[in-house]
Amino acid sequence: MKKNLLLLTAIVLALITSVGLVHAIDARKPGSSSQPSDEPLYVSPATAKHLALAFNGIAADWYWMRSLQYVGGKIVAFEDTHPEDFTLADIDLHLLPALLRMSTTLDPQFIAPYEYAAMVVPEVNPDEAIALVNSGIANNPSSWRLYQHLGYIYWRRKDYEKSSACYSTGGKLPGAPAWMAAMGARMKAEGGSRDAAREMYRHLYESSNDPSVKEMVEKQLMRLDYLDQREAILGVLNSFKAANGRCAASWRDVAAQLRTAGLTLDPGTGAPLDPSSTPYELIKNGCDVGLDINTKVPFK
Amino acid sequence: MRVITIARNAFREAVRDRVLYNLVLFVLLLIAGAIFLGELSAGQETKIIIDLGLSAMLLFGVFIAIFVGVGLVYKEIERRTLYAILSKPIGRGQFLLGKYLGLCLTLLVNVGVMGIGVSLALIYIRRGWEPLAGRIWPAILLIYLELTIMTAVALLFSTFSSPALSALLTFFVFLIGHFSADLKTLADTNANGAARLLFRGLYYLLPNLTTYSVITPAAHGIAPGLQSIGLAIAYALVYSALLLAAATMIFSGRNFK
Repeated sequence: MKKNLLLLTAIVLALITSVGLVHAIDARKPGSSSQPSDEPLYVSPATAKHLALAFNGIAADWYWMRSLQYVGGKIVAFEDTHPEDFTLADIDLHLLPALLRMSTTLDPQFIAPYEYAAMVVPEVNPDEAIALVNSGIANNPSSWRLYQHLGYIYWRRKDYEKSSACYSTGGKLPGAPAWMAAMGARMKAEGGSRDAAREMYRHLYESSNDPSVKEMVEKQLMRLDYLDQREAILGVLNSFKAANGRCAASWRDVAAQLRTAGLTLDPGTGAPLDPSSTPYELIKNGCDVGLDINTKVPFK
Repeated sequence: MRVITIARNAFREAVRDRVLYNLVLFVLLLIAGAIFLGELSAGQETKIIIDLGLSAMLLFGVFIAIFVGVGLVYKEIERRTLYAILSKPIGRGQFLLGKYLGLCLTLLVNVGVMGIGVSLALIYIRRGWEPLAGRIWPAILLIYLELTIMTAVALLFSTFSSPALSALLTFFVFLIGHFSADLKTLADTNANGAARLLFRGLYYLLPNLTTYSVITPAAHGIAPGLQSIGLAIAYALVYSALLLAAATMIFSGRNFK
């Protein structure tokens, strides 16, 4: 009994000491950082697939989760040093296409990385995003969702002809919803319009299971609503200036007109509320409208 | 009847050796996966649970097939219990077949419990019935068939080699078995006639384990067709019979005096 107690004490002490030593070793390691590693992938996706034996599925999952961690880690690190508003294009995510390519080569039927590639990679490398989604279509020719994502990438590039072709082709696949063909026609007729964009984002939101994609789409929808609201508010402010020969001194000056324009107002200040329910700011001596710094609407 | 008695004893011995304790580790892995993967995988937890569960099932199974399989005969020789067994009216082939079936039964229990674990984890994630919980079972059957082949390979090596070397050789066969498609490609593309013949010979001689690699499609709900399953069962039976016959031949030639 006494011997066992002695051994147990030795085990606990050794464990505590080893934890302390690991900390000490980590602290002395050059370049040790909690930031995501940008170390390139040394094994080609095709070789990795070979080496994975029967475990290529779990290896694909690993690279998928690593892709998410990579982007998440980069965003957190960027936020720490850049408190101002930013987009993914501002962050160095050069390893992301390679990680997604690895995941999709290991498991070509894994749709989530293709979807993620369509939503995030265009900010990093649009050509690589198109190549990734095209490889997804080649491996999953019956997946209409990949055509939807390819159409989205072309729309972002303002290539409405190609975007329309993608929606139309995807719309002909079995199981594709009717709105795919309708989007194809709409892209051709009014690809650059805000309503077309809104409809496209709405469908993206409905068809995605990925919470990060949904969040991104929600923000884009908010931005579109903001652009509509901004036009309406500017119209009211300009009318006020034309009628009074000066800009509005406060939101109360134009409250009635804003209400008539369909905007929701803050009961306290009378300021119109943006899509994230944050009051707008009256700027440039009451001649213009701006987003509040605390808004959730993306500035870019 | 004698074969069944040996098989039953081999199963009991495996249970006594705590082989099935790996199930505890497997269940812990699944529980951790089911709880944490939702956070990490952005909505892909169903696919990842299947990949994780079936991959662990294959890996744990291969380790059991190798490390228990190579000791099946060796332990009997070491303990000198083999002499007592063979002094009874039991053929050496019957002895090997009994040992083989005993380990296959152990693996069946192992794979069956793991399969139920994966199905339950999927139901837990969905908070209700998940169709994939049923659709993964053809893949589980194929994993089991692959393990029966690996058990036969381990048994064959254990009849003439030490446990360490047998384990190493069996593991090599597992690796090469998953590269069988490359052997065929090498045979088809090689300009040298002798090399072509060699690679073609190896392709047919070594077990074609890629037939049983359906974990990734299973995670997408794609089950192999009935014909594929039938052919896989037939191949596993024929190939295992071939290995057991070879093992019996070698084992019969050994002198235990």
